[in-house]
Amino acid sequence: MRRGGASIAALLLLLGAVITTSVITTATTAPTRGGGGAVAPFVWDIPAPFPRPPVPHDNPMSSHTVELGRHLFYDTRLSGNGRQSCATCHRQELAFTDGRARAVGSTGMMHPRGSMSLANIGYAPALTWADPRVTALEEQALVPMFGTSPVELGLDPDGASLLQRVRADDVYQRLFAQAFPADSAPFSVTNIVRALGAFERTLVSMRSPYDRYRYGRDRNAISESAKRGEMIFFSGQRGGCFQCHGGWNFSGAVRYDGDTTVSAGFFNTGLYNVAGAVSYPSSNTGLHAITGRIEDVGRFRAPTLRNIAVTAPYMHDGSIATLEAVVDHYAAGGRTIASGPQAGVGRDNRYKSPSVHGFVLTGTDRQDLVAFLEALTDSVFLRNPAFANPWPHEP
Amino acid sequence: MIHRTTSRYALAAAMPFALAGASVLRANPLVAQQAATATPSVRVTGAVTQSLTLTAADLASMPRASVRTTSNGITTTYEGVWVADVLKKAGAPLGNALRGAALSTYVIAMASDGYQVVFSLGELDPEMANGQYLLADSADGQPLFGETGAFRLVVPTDKRGARSIRMLTSLQVVTVRK
Repeated sequence: MRRGGASIAALLLLLGAVITTSVITTATTAPTRGGGGAVAPFVWDIPAPFPRPPVPHDNPMSSHTVELGRHLFYDTRLSGNGRQSCATCHRQELAFTDGRARAVGSTGMMHPRGSMSLANIGYAPALTWADPRVTALEEQALVPMFGTSPVELGLDPDGASLLQRVRADDVYQRLFAQAFPADSAPFSVTNIVRALGAFERTLVSMRSPYDRYRYGRDRNAISESAKRGEMIFFSGQRGGCFQCHGGWNFSGAVRYDGDTTVSAGFFNTGLYNVAGAVSYPSSNTGLHAITGRIEDVGRFRAPTLRNIAVTAPYMHDGSIATLEAVVDHYAAGGRTIASGPQAGVGRDNRYKSPSVHGFVLTGTDRQDLVAFLEALTDSVFLRNPAFANPWPHEP
Repeated sequence: MIHRTTSRYALAAAMPFALAGASVLRANPLVAQQAATATPSVRVTGAVTQSLTLTAADLASMPRASVRTTSNGITTTYEGVWVADVLKKAGAPLGNALRGAALSTYVIAMASDGYQVVFSLGELDPEMANGQYLLADSADGQPLFGETGAFRLVVPTDKRGARSIRMLTSLQVVTVRK
Protein backbone atom coordinates (compact mmCIF):
# COMPACT_ATOMS: atom_id res chain seq x y z
CA MET A 1 0.00 0.00 0.00
CA ARG A 2 1.37 3.38 -0.84
CA ARG A 3 1.48 6.05 1.78
CA GLY A 4 -1.87 7.68 2.29
CA GLY A 5 -3.56 5.12 0.07
CA ALA A 6 -4.14 7.84 -2.49
CA SER A 7 -1.34 9.16 -4.64
CA ILE A 8 -0.78 12.86 -5.08
CA ALA A 9 -2.15 12.49 -8.58
CA ALA A 10 -5.30 10.90 -7.26
CA LEU A 11 -5.58 13.61 -4.65
CA LEU A 12 -5.28 16.22 -7.31
CA LEU A 13 -7.98 14.56 -9.36
CA LEU A 14 -10.11 14.46 -6.25
CA LEU A 15 -9.54 18.11 -5.58
CA GLY A 16 -9.95 19.04 -9.19
CA ALA A 17 -9.93 22.72 -9.88
CA VAL A 18 -9.01 23.65 -6.34
CA ILE A 19 -5.40 22.54 -6.55
CA THR A 20 -2.58 23.32 -8.82
CA THR A 21 0.65 21.64 -7.91
CA SER A 22 3.85 23.47 -7.37
CA VAL A 23 6.65 21.45 -8.82
CA ILE A 24 10.20 22.53 -8.29
CA THR A 25 11.72 23.24 -11.63
CA THR A 26 14.98 24.68 -12.72
CA ALA A 27 13.23 27.31 -14.77
CA THR A 28 15.04 30.60 -14.69
CA THR A 29 12.05 32.78 -15.33
CA ALA A 30 11.54 35.68 -13.01
CA PRO A 31 9.37 34.91 -10.02
CA THR A 32 5.73 35.66 -10.64
CA ARG A 33 2.64 35.07 -8.65
CA GLY A 34 -0.80 35.49 -10.05
CA GLY A 35 0.17 38.44 -12.21
CA GLY A 36 3.06 39.54 -10.05
CA GLY A 37 2.13 41.80 -7.16
CA ALA A 38 4.65 43.32 -4.80
CA VAL A 39 5.87 40.90 -2.18
CA ALA A 40 7.94 41.65 0.89
CA PRO A 41 11.37 40.14 0.45
CA PHE A 42 12.36 37.29 2.73
CA VAL A 43 15.76 37.47 4.41
CA TRP A 44 17.34 34.06 4.82
CA ASP A 45 19.10 33.26 8.07
CA ILE A 46 21.68 30.83 6.72
CA PRO A 47 25.24 30.97 8.02
CA ALA A 48 28.23 30.56 5.71
CA PRO A 49 29.22 28.35 3.98
CA PHE A 50 25.83 26.72 3.52
CA PRO A 51 23.72 27.21 0.39
CA ARG A 52 20.10 28.30 0.29
CA PRO A 53 17.42 25.73 -0.36
CA PRO A 54 15.83 25.77 -3.81
CA VAL A 55 12.66 27.84 -4.16
CA PRO A 56 10.05 26.90 -6.76
CA HIS A 57 9.48 29.64 -9.32
CA ASP A 58 5.74 29.68 -8.66
CA ASN A 59 6.13 30.14 -4.92
CA PRO A 60 8.77 32.83 -4.36
CA MET A 61 9.76 33.52 -0.77
CA SER A 62 8.30 36.52 0.98
CA SER A 63 8.25 37.34 4.67
CA HIS A 64 4.45 37.54 4.54
CA THR A 65 4.05 34.13 2.94
CA VAL A 66 6.34 32.63 5.56
CA GLU A 67 4.41 34.32 8.36
CA LEU A 68 1.13 33.06 6.94
CA GLY A 69 2.61 29.58 6.68
CA ARG A 70 3.72 29.68 10.30
CA HIS A 71 0.20 30.57 11.44
CA LEU A 72 -1.28 27.77 9.36
CA PHE A 73 1.33 25.27 10.57
CA TYR A 74 0.28 25.83 14.18
CA ASP A 75 -3.47 26.04 13.51
CA THR A 76 -5.69 23.14 14.62
CA ARG A 77 -8.34 24.38 12.19
CA LEU A 78 -6.23 22.59 9.58
CA SER A 79 -7.68 19.29 10.84
CA GLY A 80 -11.19 18.12 10.15
CA ASN A 81 -12.11 17.83 13.82
CA GLY A 82 -10.02 20.77 15.04
CA ARG A 83 -7.84 18.56 17.23
CA GLN A 84 -4.53 18.67 15.39
CA SER A 85 -2.27 20.98 13.51
CA CYS A 86 0.91 20.21 11.55
CA ALA A 87 2.76 21.05 14.78
CA THR A 88 1.03 18.25 16.68
CA CYS A 89 3.24 15.71 14.92
CA HIS A 90 6.07 18.16 14.16
CA ARG A 91 7.10 19.75 17.47
CA GLN A 92 9.90 22.29 17.30
CA GLU A 93 11.63 21.19 20.52
CA LEU A 94 11.91 17.69 19.02
CA ALA A 95 13.33 19.02 15.72
CA PHE A 96 9.77 18.88 14.39
CA THR A 97 9.16 15.23 15.20
CA ASP A 98 6.69 13.99 17.82
CA GLY A 99 8.51 11.61 20.15
CA ARG A 100 6.31 8.71 19.09
CA ALA A 101 7.34 5.54 17.32
CA ARG A 102 4.51 6.07 14.86
CA ALA A 103 2.37 9.12 14.31
CA VAL A 104 -1.28 9.30 15.34
CA GLY A 105 -3.77 11.27 13.29
CA SER A 106 -6.61 13.56 14.37
CA THR A 107 -9.13 10.72 14.43
CA GLY A 108 -6.82 8.41 16.36
CA MET A 109 -5.67 6.39 13.37
CA MET A 110 -2.07 5.24 13.71
CA HIS A 111 0.30 5.93 10.86
CA PRO A 112 2.55 3.06 9.75
CA ARG A 113 5.59 5.32 10.09
CA GLY A 114 7.03 7.97 12.36
CA SER A 115 6.88 11.74 11.87
CA MET A 116 10.00 12.90 10.09
CA SER A 117 12.09 15.85 11.21
CA LEU A 118 11.52 19.02 9.22
CA ALA A 119 15.05 20.32 9.85
CA ASN A 120 16.48 21.35 6.48
CA ILE A 121 13.52 19.75 4.74
CA GLY A 122 13.77 22.32 1.97
CA TYR A 123 16.97 20.63 0.82
CA ALA A 124 15.59 17.09 0.70
CA PRO A 125 15.54 15.57 -2.78
CA ALA A 126 12.44 13.60 -1.79
CA LEU A 127 9.97 14.02 1.05
CA THR A 128 8.47 11.27 3.21
CA TRP A 129 10.12 7.98 4.06
CA ALA A 130 9.86 6.04 0.86
CA ASP A 131 8.08 7.86 -1.95
CA PRO A 132 10.41 9.28 -4.60
CA ARG A 133 7.51 11.01 -6.37
CA VAL A 134 6.82 13.56 -3.64
CA THR A 135 9.53 16.16 -4.10
CA ALA A 136 7.75 19.50 -3.54
CA LEU A 137 6.74 20.67 -0.10
CA GLU A 138 3.60 22.23 -1.57
CA GLU A 139 2.52 18.82 -2.87
CA GLN A 140 3.51 16.94 0.23
CA ALA A 141 1.37 19.12 2.49
CA LEU A 142 -1.72 17.79 0.73
CA VAL A 143 -1.01 14.28 2.01
CA PRO A 144 -1.46 14.93 5.74
CA MET A 145 -4.23 17.43 5.01
CA PHE A 146 -6.42 15.27 2.80
CA GLY A 147 -5.03 11.72 2.98
CA THR A 148 -7.43 9.02 4.14
CA SER A 149 -5.24 5.97 4.54
CA PRO A 150 -4.25 6.79 7.17
CA VAL A 151 -6.25 9.84 8.17
CA GLU A 152 -3.82 12.46 9.46
CA LEU A 153 -5.38 15.92 9.58
CA GLY A 154 -8.53 14.52 8.03
CA LEU A 155 -9.86 17.50 6.09
CA ASP A 156 -12.90 17.22 3.84
CA PRO A 157 -11.76 16.39 0.30
CA ASP A 158 -12.82 19.64 -1.36
CA GLY A 159 -11.16 21.87 1.23
CA ALA A 160 -14.31 23.99 1.42
CA SER A 161 -14.78 23.74 5.18
CA LEU A 162 -11.10 24.55 5.72
CA LEU A 163 -11.33 27.65 3.55
CA GLN A 164 -14.52 28.70 5.30
CA ARG A 165 -12.86 28.47 8.73
CA VAL A 166 -9.75 30.28 7.60
CA ARG A 167 -11.61 33.02 5.76
CA ALA A 168 -13.67 33.79 8.87
CA ASP A 169 -10.61 34.79 10.88
CA ASP A 170 -9.54 38.43 10.81
CA VAL A 171 -5.91 37.45 11.29
CA TYR A 172 -6.05 35.42 8.09
CA GLN A 173 -7.88 38.17 6.24
CA ARG A 174 -4.81 40.30 6.83
CA LEU A 175 -2.19 37.59 6.31
CA PHE A 176 -3.59 36.21 3.05
CA ALA A 177 -3.93 39.70 1.60
CA GLN A 178 -0.32 40.49 2.53
CA ALA A 179 1.07 37.18 1.30
CA PHE A 180 -0.80 37.18 -2.02
CA PRO A 181 -1.28 40.85 -2.88
CA ALA A 182 -1.80 40.20 -6.59
CA ASP A 183 -4.42 37.55 -5.98
CA SER A 184 -8.01 38.78 -6.21
CA ALA A 185 -9.12 35.59 -4.43
CA PRO A 186 -6.23 34.72 -2.13
CA PHE A 187 -8.10 32.12 -0.07
CA SER A 188 -7.38 28.81 -1.77
CA VAL A 189 -5.91 25.45 -0.91
CA THR A 190 -3.15 26.20 -3.40
CA ASN A 191 -2.15 29.31 -1.48
CA ILE A 192 -2.41 27.47 1.85
CA VAL A 193 0.12 24.85 0.74
CA ARG A 194 2.29 27.55 -0.81
CA ALA A 195 2.44 29.31 2.54
CA LEU A 196 3.13 26.06 4.40
CA GLY A 197 5.90 25.22 1.93
CA ALA A 198 7.44 28.66 2.30
CA PHE A 199 7.46 28.36 6.10
CA GLU A 200 8.94 24.86 5.97
CA ARG A 201 11.73 26.08 3.69
CA THR A 202 12.84 28.45 6.45
CA LEU A 203 13.41 25.59 8.92
CA VAL A 204 17.18 25.52 8.50
CA SER A 205 19.48 23.91 11.05
CA MET A 206 23.24 24.56 10.75
CA ARG A 207 24.27 25.82 14.16
CA SER A 208 25.15 22.69 16.06
CA PRO A 209 28.38 22.36 18.05
CA TYR A 210 29.64 20.19 15.20
CA ASP A 211 29.09 23.06 12.75
CA ARG A 212 31.18 25.32 14.97
CA TYR A 213 33.88 22.64 15.00
CA ARG A 214 33.85 21.83 11.29
CA TYR A 215 32.93 25.17 9.71
CA GLY A 216 33.37 27.71 12.49
CA ARG A 217 36.99 26.89 13.26
CA ASP A 218 36.29 26.29 16.94
CA ARG A 219 38.34 23.17 17.59
CA ASN A 220 36.96 22.95 21.11
CA ALA A 221 33.29 23.07 20.16
CA ILE A 222 32.86 19.31 20.53
CA SER A 223 34.31 16.75 22.93
CA GLU A 224 37.31 14.53 22.23
CA SER A 225 34.86 11.63 22.26
CA ALA A 226 32.75 13.29 19.56
CA LYS A 227 35.90 13.94 17.52
CA ARG A 228 36.73 10.24 17.67
CA GLY A 229 33.13 9.50 16.71
CA GLU A 230 33.47 11.71 13.64
CA MET A 231 36.42 9.61 12.50
CA ILE A 232 34.39 6.40 12.88
CA PHE A 233 31.38 7.92 11.11
CA PHE A 234 33.42 9.01 8.09
CA SER A 235 35.58 5.90 7.82
CA GLY A 236 34.36 3.39 5.27
CA GLN A 237 36.34 0.70 7.04
CA ARG A 238 34.86 1.47 10.45
CA GLY A 239 31.37 2.98 10.78
CA GLY A 240 30.90 3.90 7.14
CA CYS A 241 27.79 5.87 8.19
CA PHE A 242 28.65 8.65 5.72
CA GLN A 243 27.97 6.37 2.79
CA CYS A 244 24.24 7.01 3.22
CA HIS A 245 24.26 9.95 5.65
CA GLY A 246 26.98 11.98 3.92
CA GLY A 247 27.35 15.62 3.01
CA TRP A 248 26.85 18.62 5.25
CA ASN A 249 23.26 17.62 5.99
CA PHE A 250 24.15 14.05 6.99
CA SER A 251 21.41 12.90 4.64
CA GLY A 252 23.25 12.11 1.45
CA ALA A 253 23.26 14.61 -1.39
CA VAL A 254 20.91 17.59 -1.14
CA ARG A 255 19.15 19.91 -3.54
CA TYR A 256 20.06 23.54 -3.17
CA ASP A 257 19.69 26.87 -4.90
CA GLY A 258 21.76 26.20 -7.99
CA ASP A 259 21.34 22.44 -8.30
CA THR A 260 18.00 20.69 -8.02
CA THR A 261 19.01 17.65 -10.04
CA VAL A 262 19.87 15.28 -7.19
CA SER A 263 17.69 12.21 -6.72
CA ALA A 264 16.95 10.73 -3.33
CA GLY A 265 18.64 7.56 -2.17
CA PHE A 266 16.67 4.76 -0.54
CA PHE A 267 18.37 2.01 1.45
CA ASN A 268 17.50 -1.35 2.95
CA THR A 269 19.45 -1.45 6.22
CA GLY A 270 18.65 -5.01 7.21
CA LEU A 271 16.18 -3.89 9.86
CA TYR A 272 13.94 -6.90 9.14
CA ASN A 273 14.09 -10.25 7.43
CA VAL A 274 10.68 -11.74 8.10
CA ALA A 275 9.57 -15.04 6.62
CA GLY A 276 8.00 -14.99 3.18
CA ALA A 277 8.77 -13.54 -0.23
CA VAL A 278 8.58 -9.92 0.98
CA SER A 279 11.05 -9.75 3.82
CA TYR A 280 9.69 -6.63 5.55
CA PRO A 281 6.43 -6.31 7.51
CA SER A 282 3.62 -5.79 5.00
CA SER A 283 2.62 -2.40 6.41
CA ASN A 284 6.04 -0.96 5.62
CA THR A 285 7.81 -2.41 2.62
CA GLY A 286 9.44 0.90 1.71
CA LEU A 287 10.11 1.90 -1.87
CA HIS A 288 8.68 -1.47 -2.91
CA ALA A 289 5.21 -0.21 -1.98
CA ILE A 290 5.55 2.38 -4.75
CA THR A 291 7.45 0.48 -7.42
CA GLY A 292 6.32 -3.08 -6.82
CA ARG A 293 9.87 -4.23 -7.47
CA ILE A 294 11.05 -6.91 -5.08
CA GLU A 295 14.55 -5.47 -4.96
CA ASP A 296 13.03 -2.29 -3.48
CA VAL A 297 11.76 -4.08 -0.40
CA GLY A 298 12.91 -2.38 2.78
CA ARG A 299 14.37 0.64 1.03
CA PHE A 300 13.72 3.84 2.95
CA ARG A 301 15.21 7.30 2.62
CA ALA A 302 18.25 8.16 4.74
CA PRO A 303 16.98 11.17 6.67
CA THR A 304 19.20 13.92 8.00
CA LEU A 305 21.01 13.03 11.21
CA ARG A 306 21.00 16.63 12.36
CA ASN A 307 19.26 16.86 15.76
CA ILE A 308 19.01 13.07 15.82
CA ALA A 309 19.55 12.99 19.59
CA VAL A 310 16.15 14.65 20.14
CA THR A 311 14.14 12.59 17.63
CA ALA A 312 13.90 9.18 19.32
CA PRO A 313 12.63 6.56 18.72
CA TYR A 314 14.45 5.71 15.51
CA MET A 315 14.03 4.15 12.08
CA HIS A 316 10.96 4.53 9.85
CA ASP A 317 8.74 2.70 12.32
CA GLY A 318 10.29 3.86 15.58
CA SER A 319 11.33 0.30 16.33
CA ILE A 320 14.71 1.20 17.86
CA ALA A 321 14.56 3.19 21.08
CA THR A 322 18.02 4.67 21.52
CA LEU A 323 21.01 5.89 19.53
CA GLU A 324 23.17 3.24 21.20
CA ALA A 325 20.83 0.54 19.91
CA VAL A 326 20.86 2.08 16.42
CA VAL A 327 24.66 1.95 16.44
CA ASP A 328 24.48 -1.70 17.49
CA HIS A 329 22.03 -2.45 14.67
CA TYR A 330 24.45 -1.05 12.09
CA ALA A 331 27.50 -2.60 13.74
CA ALA A 332 25.79 -5.98 13.43
CA GLY A 333 25.14 -5.28 9.74
CA GLY A 334 21.42 -5.64 10.39
CA ARG A 335 19.05 -6.41 13.25
CA THR A 336 18.25 -9.86 14.51
CA ILE A 337 14.74 -10.35 15.95
CA ALA A 338 14.76 -13.61 17.85
CA SER A 339 11.06 -14.43 18.13
CA GLY A 340 7.55 -13.37 17.25
CA PRO A 341 5.94 -12.51 13.93
CA GLN A 342 8.87 -10.31 12.90
CA ALA A 343 11.56 -12.85 13.72
CA GLY A 344 14.47 -12.96 11.35
CA VAL A 345 18.11 -12.14 10.79
CA GLY A 346 18.15 -8.73 9.13
CA ARG A 347 21.84 -9.04 8.39
CA ASP A 348 20.96 -11.72 5.84
CA ASN A 349 18.24 -9.73 4.06
CA ARG A 350 19.07 -10.32 0.41
CA TYR A 351 18.17 -6.76 -0.60
CA LYS A 352 20.23 -5.08 2.07
CA SER A 353 22.39 -2.17 0.92
CA PRO A 354 26.05 -3.17 0.55
CA SER A 355 26.93 -0.11 2.64
CA VAL A 356 25.44 -1.84 5.70
CA HIS A 357 28.38 -4.20 6.00
CA GLY A 358 28.67 -4.22 9.75
CA PHE A 359 31.68 -3.16 11.75
CA VAL A 360 33.52 -4.01 14.92
CA LEU A 361 33.00 -1.74 17.91
CA THR A 362 35.90 -1.69 20.31
CA GLY A 363 36.75 0.34 23.39
CA THR A 364 34.83 3.59 23.44
CA ASP A 365 33.64 3.38 19.82
CA ARG A 366 29.92 3.14 20.62
CA GLN A 367 29.88 6.07 23.02
CA ASP A 368 32.14 8.05 20.68
CA LEU A 369 29.72 7.61 17.78
CA VAL A 370 26.81 8.61 20.00
CA ALA A 371 28.74 11.64 21.27
CA PHE A 372 29.34 12.66 17.67
CA LEU A 373 25.65 12.29 16.83
CA GLU A 374 24.73 14.31 19.93
CA ALA A 375 27.05 17.07 18.69
CA LEU A 376 24.63 17.50 15.76
CA THR A 377 21.94 18.92 18.05
CA ASP A 378 21.25 22.54 17.11
CA SER A 379 19.69 24.13 20.19
CA VAL A 380 19.34 27.45 18.35
CA PHE A 381 17.08 25.70 15.86
CA LEU A 382 15.07 23.94 18.57
CA ARG A 383 14.33 27.27 20.29
CA ASN A 384 14.29 29.76 17.43
CA PRO A 385 11.27 32.02 18.01
CA ALA A 386 10.92 32.46 14.25
CA PHE A 387 9.78 28.82 14.06
CA ALA A 388 7.53 28.87 17.14
CA ASN A 389 3.77 29.05 17.48
CA PRO A 390 2.72 32.60 16.55
CA TRP A 391 -0.75 32.36 18.04
CA PRO A 392 -1.20 34.00 21.44
CA HIS A 393 -3.39 31.04 22.45
CA GLU A 394 -4.75 27.95 20.77
CA PRO A 395 -6.78 29.29 17.82
CA MET B 1 52.06 27.80 -10.42
CA ILE B 2 48.50 27.65 -9.17
CA HIS B 3 45.93 25.66 -11.05
CA ARG B 4 42.27 26.10 -10.28
CA THR B 5 39.28 24.11 -11.23
CA THR B 6 35.72 23.81 -10.17
CA SER B 7 33.91 20.56 -10.06
CA ARG B 8 30.39 19.58 -9.14
CA TYR B 9 31.17 16.21 -7.71
CA ALA B 10 30.44 15.37 -4.12
CA LEU B 11 33.51 14.75 -2.04
CA ALA B 12 31.36 13.41 0.72
CA ALA B 13 29.76 11.15 -1.84
CA ALA B 14 26.95 9.36 -0.11
CA MET B 15 27.01 6.56 -2.58
CA PRO B 16 25.65 3.21 -1.61
CA PHE B 17 28.29 1.56 -3.71
CA ALA B 18 31.14 3.82 -2.75
CA LEU B 19 33.27 0.80 -2.05
CA ALA B 20 32.41 -1.04 -5.21
CA GLY B 21 34.31 -0.71 -8.44
CA ALA B 22 37.62 -1.61 -9.88
CA SER B 23 39.35 1.43 -8.50
CA VAL B 24 38.89 0.41 -4.90
CA LEU B 25 40.48 -2.39 -2.97
CA ARG B 26 39.06 -3.40 0.38
CA ALA B 27 41.75 -4.12 2.87
CA ASN B 28 41.00 -6.54 5.63
CA PRO B 29 39.21 -4.43 8.20
CA LEU B 30 41.79 -3.31 10.63
CA VAL B 31 41.60 -1.22 13.68
CA ALA B 32 42.43 2.30 12.72
CA GLN B 33 45.64 3.49 14.10
CA GLN B 34 44.80 6.77 15.72
CA ALA B 35 48.05 8.34 14.66
CA ALA B 36 49.45 9.26 18.00
CA THR B 37 52.49 10.77 16.41
CA ALA B 38 52.96 14.41 17.15
CA THR B 39 53.66 15.17 13.50
CA PRO B 40 51.37 13.58 10.91
CA SER B 41 53.08 12.57 7.70
CA VAL B 42 52.60 10.87 4.35
CA ARG B 43 55.05 8.13 3.40
CA VAL B 44 56.07 7.56 -0.21
CA THR B 45 57.45 4.06 -0.65
CA GLY B 46 57.91 1.22 -3.12
CA ALA B 47 59.40 1.44 -6.60
CA VAL B 48 61.04 4.82 -6.08
CA THR B 49 64.67 5.82 -5.86
CA GLN B 50 64.09 7.74 -2.65
CA SER B 51 61.48 6.85 -0.02
CA LEU B 52 59.99 9.92 1.60
CA THR B 53 58.25 10.84 4.81
CA LEU B 54 56.56 14.17 4.22
CA THR B 55 55.20 16.40 6.94
CA ALA B 56 53.13 19.53 6.50
CA ALA B 57 56.33 21.53 6.76
CA ASP B 58 57.87 19.53 3.91
CA LEU B 59 54.81 20.07 1.73
CA ALA B 60 54.86 23.78 2.54
CA SER B 61 58.30 24.07 0.96
CA MET B 62 57.24 22.39 -2.30
CA PRO B 63 55.48 24.02 -5.29
CA ARG B 64 51.96 24.80 -4.05
CA ALA B 65 48.74 24.26 -5.96
CA SER B 66 45.05 24.55 -5.23
CA VAL B 67 41.76 23.22 -6.54
CA ARG B 68 38.21 24.29 -5.84
CA THR B 69 35.41 21.81 -5.35
CA THR B 70 31.70 22.20 -4.79
CA SER B 71 29.91 19.58 -2.76
CA ASN B 72 26.22 19.91 -1.96
CA GLY B 73 26.44 23.64 -2.51
CA ILE B 74 29.48 24.24 -0.32
CA THR B 75 32.56 25.41 -2.19
CA THR B 76 35.93 24.49 -0.71
CA THR B 77 39.38 25.57 -1.82
CA TYR B 78 41.93 22.86 -1.12
CA GLU B 79 45.61 23.64 -1.09
CA GLY B 80 48.56 21.31 -1.26
CA VAL B 81 50.99 19.80 -3.71
CA TRP B 82 50.33 17.95 -6.98
CA VAL B 83 50.81 14.23 -6.42
CA ALA B 84 53.11 14.16 -9.47
CA ASP B 85 55.48 16.61 -7.77
CA VAL B 86 55.61 14.38 -4.69
CA LEU B 87 56.33 11.31 -6.83
CA LYS B 88 58.94 13.20 -8.81
CA LYS B 89 60.67 14.10 -5.56
CA ALA B 90 60.75 10.39 -4.70
CA GLY B 91 62.26 9.59 -8.08
CA ALA B 92 59.30 7.88 -9.71
CA PRO B 93 59.61 7.72 -13.53
CA LEU B 94 57.58 10.63 -14.88
CA GLY B 95 57.68 12.82 -17.98
CA ASN B 96 60.20 11.47 -20.48
CA ALA B 97 61.04 8.60 -18.15
CA LEU B 98 57.48 7.32 -18.22
CA ARG B 99 57.80 4.83 -21.08
CA GLY B 100 58.20 1.12 -21.63
CA ALA B 101 57.98 -1.00 -18.52
CA ALA B 102 57.51 2.12 -16.38
CA LEU B 103 54.04 2.49 -17.89
CA SER B 104 52.97 -0.55 -15.88
CA THR B 105 53.52 1.38 -12.65
CA TYR B 106 50.64 2.13 -10.30
CA VAL B 107 50.26 3.93 -7.00
CA ILE B 108 48.29 2.68 -4.00
CA ALA B 109 47.01 5.51 -1.83
CA MET B 110 46.27 4.25 1.67
CA ALA B 111 44.32 5.80 4.52
CA SER B 112 44.90 5.31 8.24
CA ASP B 113 41.75 3.16 8.44
CA GLY B 114 42.98 0.78 5.74
CA TYR B 115 40.96 2.24 2.85
CA GLN B 116 42.96 1.99 -0.36
CA VAL B 117 42.53 3.31 -3.88
CA VAL B 118 44.71 2.88 -6.95
CA PHE B 119 45.93 5.26 -9.63
CA SER B 120 48.12 4.44 -12.60
CA LEU B 121 51.33 6.44 -12.73
CA GLY B 122 50.35 7.52 -16.23
CA GLU B 123 47.13 9.19 -15.16
CA LEU B 124 48.98 11.03 -12.39
CA ASP B 125 51.54 12.50 -14.80
CA PRO B 126 50.46 15.92 -16.12
CA GLU B 127 52.60 15.29 -19.22
CA MET B 128 50.52 12.18 -19.93
CA ALA B 129 46.96 12.96 -18.90
CA ASN B 130 44.64 15.76 -17.92
CA GLY B 131 43.45 14.65 -14.49
CA GLN B 132 44.04 16.73 -11.38
CA TYR B 133 45.42 14.97 -8.32
CA LEU B 134 46.16 17.14 -5.33
CA LEU B 135 47.76 15.97 -2.13
CA ALA B 136 45.92 18.46 0.07
CA ASP B 137 46.95 19.62 3.51
CA SER B 138 44.60 22.58 3.94
CA ALA B 139 41.06 23.65 3.12
CA ASP B 140 39.98 27.28 2.95
CA GLY B 141 43.26 28.36 4.47
CA GLN B 142 43.05 26.05 7.50
CA PRO B 143 45.06 22.86 8.07
CA LEU B 144 42.97 19.72 7.53
CA PHE B 145 41.73 18.12 10.74
CA GLY B 146 39.34 15.52 12.10
CA GLU B 147 37.68 13.16 9.64
CA THR B 148 39.86 14.16 6.70
CA GLY B 149 43.04 13.49 8.65
CA ALA B 150 45.88 15.94 8.18
CA PHE B 151 46.22 14.93 4.52
CA ARG B 152 43.88 13.82 1.79
CA LEU B 153 43.82 13.45 -1.95
CA VAL B 154 41.44 15.68 -3.89
CA VAL B 155 40.61 14.54 -7.40
CA PRO B 156 38.22 17.10 -8.89
CA THR B 157 38.43 15.50 -12.31
CA ASP B 158 36.88 12.28 -10.98
CA LYS B 159 33.10 12.22 -11.25
CA ARG B 160 32.76 10.64 -7.82
CA GLY B 161 34.59 11.35 -4.60
CA ALA B 162 35.53 7.77 -3.81
CA ARG B 163 39.19 8.20 -4.80
CA SER B 164 39.55 11.53 -3.01
CA ILE B 165 40.86 9.51 -0.14
CA ARG B 166 40.74 11.06 3.32
CA MET B 167 43.09 10.26 6.22
CA LEU B 168 45.90 9.70 3.72
CA THR B 169 48.99 8.08 5.23
CA SER B 170 50.95 6.60 2.35
CA LEU B 171 51.53 6.39 -1.38
CA GLN B 172 53.04 3.08 -2.42
CA VAL B 173 54.51 2.86 -5.92
CA VAL B 174 54.34 -0.57 -7.56
CA THR B 175 55.73 -1.64 -10.92
CA VAL B 176 54.09 -4.64 -12.56
CA ARG B 177 56.77 -5.20 -15.25
CA LYS B 178 60.38 -4.90 -14.16
